Amino acid sequence: MEDKEERIETPLVAIVIDATPAKKFASQAIIDNGSTMMNRIFDALIGFGNAHLMQGSHNKLAVIACNSKSTKFLYPSENGDSKSYHNRPGQYDMFAKVDSDIRHGLSELILKDSIDHDSTTSDSLLGGAMARALCHIHKIQRELSLSHQLKPRILVVSGSSDSALQYMTFMNVFFTAQKENVVIDCCMMDSDSGLLQQGCDITGGQYLRIPTVVGLLEYLLWVFLPGPSCRSKIVLPPPTKVDYRAACFCHHKLVDIGWVCSVCLSIFCKFSIICTTCNTEFKLNRPAIVPSKPKKRPRME
Amino acid sequence: MADEEETNEYRWESGYEKTWEAIKEDDDGLLESNVAEIVARAKRKRAALKATGAIQLGMMRHLFVVIDASECMFLQDLKPTRFLCVLKLLELFVHEFFDLNPISQLGILTTKVKRCVEVAALAGNQKKHIEALQQMKDTSCEGEPSLQNSLERAMNGLKNMPAHSSREVLVLFGSLTTCDPGDIQKTIKSLKENNIRVSIIGLAAEVRICREIAKRTGGTYNVLLDDHHLKELILNQVQPPAVAGSMEASLVKMGFPGGKTGSGDGASDSAADHAPAYCLCHIENETSCLMGNNSGYNCPQCGSRYCELPVECKQCGLTLVSAPHLARSYHHLFPIKPFIERTEVPEMTHCFACAKPFGELDPNVYECENCKQIVCLDCDLFIRETLHTCPGCASDPITAQMKTN
Repeated sequence: MEDKEERIETPLVAIVIDATPAKKFASQAIIDNGSTMMNRIFDALIGFGNAHLMQGSHNKLAVIACNSKSTKFLYPSENGDSKSYHNRPGQYDMFAKVDSDIRHGLSELILKDSIDHDSTTSDSLLGGAMARALCHIHKIQRELSLSHQLKPRILVVSGSSDSALQYMTFMNVFFTAQKENVVIDCCMMDSDSGLLQQGCDITGGQYLRIPTVVGLLEYLLWVFLPGPSCRSKIVLPPPTKVDYRAACFCHHKLVDIGWVCSVCLSIFCKFSIICTTCNTEFKLNRPAIVPSKPKKRPRME
Repeated sequence: MADEEETNEYRWESGYEKTWEAIKEDDDGLLESNVAEIVARAKRKRAALKATGAIQLGMMRHLFVVIDASECMFLQDLKPTRFLCVLKLLELFVHEFFDLNPISQLGILTTKVKRCVEVAALAGNQKKHIEALQQMKDTSCEGEPSLQNSLERAMNGLKNMPAHSSREVLVLFGSLTTCDPGDIQKTIKSLKENNIRVSIIGLAAEVRICREIAKRTGGTYNVLLDDHHLKELILNQVQPPAVAGSMEASLVKMGFPGGKTGSGDGASDSAADHAPAYCLCHIENETSCLMGNNSGYNCPQCGSRYCELPVECKQCGLTLVSAPHLARSYHHLFPIKPFIERTEVPEMTHCFACAKPFGELDPNVYECENCKQIVCLDCDLFIRETLHTCPGCASDPITAQMKTN
């Protein structure tokens, strides 16, 4: 399907916002000129969204937020009836809508989270939010006319570290993104995430851990606003070396050398007789491991 | 196609099928929406068939692809010729194969002038295979093929592979004849003894011996209808097959290079990690390997460096892989439950996954059993075929954590 005439490029950015660090930032109350950290982050995200929309009339935007309890579409908003948003005179309608949708939705999510304290703090549901973003991108792709060509990417703005329990979801998301040519970019505040590093590496996106949260908007605009096609022309932070070690299924510990079940490919850090994932029994007379043990002992003594 | 094989009746013997009656015009007198629905329904049905049952899959595969390069492959019923068409499709196959079977190995054989030649040895690096396929485009097709010689050759390569791997041969056979030196029944017998599965795709017409080989070794036999069908048939071989009979299970030792050091055991020290070193995959041939000082992967056992994964360490024989390679096949292990079809209009007005508002155009919606979220038909297919993760379950703090355990 190679068209002779140029197809109109339609960049789509799906921003996935992790709202779990909100509590942390809420306590870091006021910085220099009286605005709170939270407001700074809100403004940065909205500013970035609008800046992307401003770049071209075909540009599309989707914003999805998540915390440890739920995930939510902020823009386009879930309850289709657009809440009353008042645009300042002369302001472009869409910008006002993006502004109010993100602000309303995100604060709703954060407030709901801070109200019920009962549950223990669990991991952020970033995987689910990214899965929804992929479904949304898939839908837009399908609905697009043939003269347009979608250039989709996902920008993850997160501040929480890895959640080993969602490993499978993350991996499925990364491989789907790779298959659908969706680039995953990642902007981390405060903490690093090995999983997202892998995701960025697999899909060819940019991973950046920003040193100061105050400068979020600057980082977003400089590093993540240009699309992947023109990134080769600008000087970007050097790629981080990705840790591709596997975590074993038994202790969730990273291993250098592990044992892999030939039936289900589960990884174990120690040799065992039975696979805990698929309940396969292994043959015990493995010649490979028997001689290796006596060798080690004399050296130790 | 599968059900055609099982019933012994030929298509022309069976009753009259009024296929056109299924198509009806909608309110506007258009067929489009109706056709789209039929297509979607067929897809759903096919996906449902695939998803049935927890069968043990042969994840580690050793596969020989045998390409017929006899005279008949120059025929132009596939464009531009049968041979070029097959090679082009195989390039795609190799790519998809390694995408889905990351720690498997593939080898390529051709058969012409009554002989069988190895084009690419059994290996896990797709670049070499694709290079070999591209070079083959210039070779000529001549003589007669030999089915027995190629099967014997493949068997010799496969029978020493570890018992826990799935051994397979895929034959792309264009000729209607074969020139064999001995009794092919004996070959079939020993193929069976060695647990080798032979699948054959016929490019011309059904040949009895091919069907027999496939049937007795537990493989599949198909004859193509046209080039699209051929593509489908070849790509069907990408999915790991269910394990046939007795396959031993074992724990395989593997290395995961690329870790930052200082994690305790100190298998390799950081000075060695960054020291300039030759890449062992390119050390034998002249082609230069573009590996900087910081790139490359060190074997955690012996410290030799490689520019690509997955690879088998040439020094100590350890299989080196990266975690995502293994993770690619995990979705076979943890398949998602098929969604339930609901006809009544739900209270939800949006598809949970893609935020599309439900209109009157979507008569059916689909519900996940676990999280009770509702998605549209397109998302249902997308989730099942590509994503393999229910966005609803992943968005719920309780169900999101169930999958790894």
